[in-house]
Amino acid sequence: MPGSFTKRTFELQTNGDSALDIRFADAPGPDLSETIIALAQAIESASIPGVTELVPAYQCLTVCFDLLQLPDDGAGTQRLVDTLNELVRVQLTQPSPVAGPRYQIKIPVCYAPEFAPDMQALSNHVGLPADQVIRRHSATDYLVHMLGFTPGFLYLGGLDKQLHCPRKDRPTLNVPAGSVGIGGGQTGIYPQQTPGGWQIIGRTPLALFRPQRDPAFIARPLDRIRFVAISAQQFAETDPFAEPEKIPIDTAETDLANAGNIQKSRGARR
Amino acid sequence: MSLHIIQPGLQTSIQSVGRPGLMRWGVARGGAADTFAMALGNLLLGNPIAHPGIEVALTGPEIEFTTDVSIAVTGARFDLSHNENAVPNNAVLNMAAGDRLRFGALKSGARAYLALAAEIDLAPVFGSVSTHLISGFGGLHGRSLRTGDHVPLQHCRYVAPRELPPQFRLDYRTRPLIRVVPGCEAGYFSAEALSAFHHGGFAVSPQSNRMGIRLTGEPLATTDLPQLVSSALCPGTVQVPPNGLPIISFVEGQTIGGYPRIAHVISADLHRLGQLQANQRLDFEPVSAHSARRILKEKTQLLHELPAML
Repeated sequence: MPGSFTKRTFELQTNGDSALDIRFADAPGPDLSETIIALAQAIESASIPGVTELVPAYQCLTVCFDLLQLPDDGAGTQRLVDTLNELVRVQLTQPSPVAGPRYQIKIPVCYAPEFAPDMQALSNHVGLPADQVIRRHSATDYLVHMLGFTPGFLYLGGLDKQLHCPRKDRPTLNVPAGSVGIGGGQTGIYPQQTPGGWQIIGRTPLALFRPQRDPAFIARPLDRIRFVAISAQQFAETDPFAEPEKIPIDTAETDLANAGNIQKSRGARR
Repeated sequence: MSLHIIQPGLQTSIQSVGRPGLMRWGVARGGAADTFAMALGNLLLGNPIAHPGIEVALTGPEIEFTTDVSIAVTGARFDLSHNENAVPNNAVLNMAAGDRLRFGALKSGARAYLALAAEIDLAPVFGSVSTHLISGFGGLHGRSLRTGDHVPLQHCRYVAPRELPPQFRLDYRTRPLIRVVPGCEAGYFSAEALSAFHHGGFAVSPQSNRMGIRLTGEPLATTDLPQLVSSALCPGTVQVPPNGLPIISFVEGQTIGGYPRIAHVISADLHRLGQLQANQRLDFEPVSAHSARRILKEKTQLLHELPAML
């Protein structure tokens, strides 16, 4: 894996007057997410004065800063650009591994019709009966690439190609909190009741965003999510604030070249 | 000791500067839509500029005070009455227990700030009592205030009566010129689209909220725009979705987005977005990164100079 780091190309670009984007040319994937999270940790460790937020995404790490905290010599932003350039170069040539534990997190999902208003439409589109959709959807580990959009929303990679299905032409106004959906090649869970255009095939009883609790968010980038099918009765009996089942991932097995590898390594661990 | 909400108004909420640092979890900073106006009220009362207060939008509330406390109303201009007597905006007002403050007709702007010479006695969430209205947490039960609510206060005090100097009384009646720096994808837009954006006289759509300010007008051409992979979306970013009508990401905006960004409102002008009214027309003026910093520095300097002028 370290070899692949050195091939990456990147560029720094302004994102408004108080943020810089570090953008990578590589396609999104587990490897690039690993690079971006490692870089975020390196920038954090560097404690650069004025840096206020780091926002990792599929191909980009955004560094937000307080304009007035940068040196007032007319070149404050340029100096930050130079510092970041250097940090990225070091990270790409002598990559430090991502620190901290990571987990496979089991999220219970009830795929019963009352929670799956779009199952029939999705089933028709992909040409698989509902039980096959459920089996495939809950048979794989998904990589958490990033959190964002709304509090606690997980951007997951690794959806079975057989389950890809376009978003709805017209978004549903009120998708209930906990709804599990498929939109294009992505799957995910709506943490809050919001409008949404994905095909809803189930619902988790668990709260993904728990502002009064620690941790407030059910997963972190580079964790893996496994959906576990449950019955409507189990759904009703589950405490929304119950801790999901979390299994530490052996760091030796986290070398993910692509989403397909996620499925293979999953088999080995169980 | 509390504020007792007799009439809630349209969207009255507890706000301060919000929660910076949580975008990576999908949590927008949130907080006051016009932090500058909020700071003015706080400075009048001798508070820190980020002290929590009440944000009032478009239709104001009627509030009964169950305690003696000084307040000040800044930002949008409302007809204000204190126990049926007209009282000024931008001035310290002393409320006694049982007194009522009523927000009447809105004269200009969109959001006023009721600053309090008191602490709002609520548990912070992620270090702030700001109400995140879109996601429903913080403040009082994560929502805007309702009839019958009591906002608990502590450490209530009176301060010497004083007014904001005239140069700090903002006038929101003129057509706003919002300053912007070039967007990340500005280069993908045609010269015509860029020109139309800056001088198109877009108007604020009534569909706007704290998540985003939608614009209406002649749609911009979007045929040659690239498909992007989603990444961080900061407040003030102006995205152009396929329908060609720009959306400005606002205080509770989504933290990840993927539409081409034509421009970014400069940090110094973000607070002015909080005073835009529905159907109001506005223009965008491009400025350099250097000017963006200078303008922010000047505005911040003004705030720092205010206490000595009171």
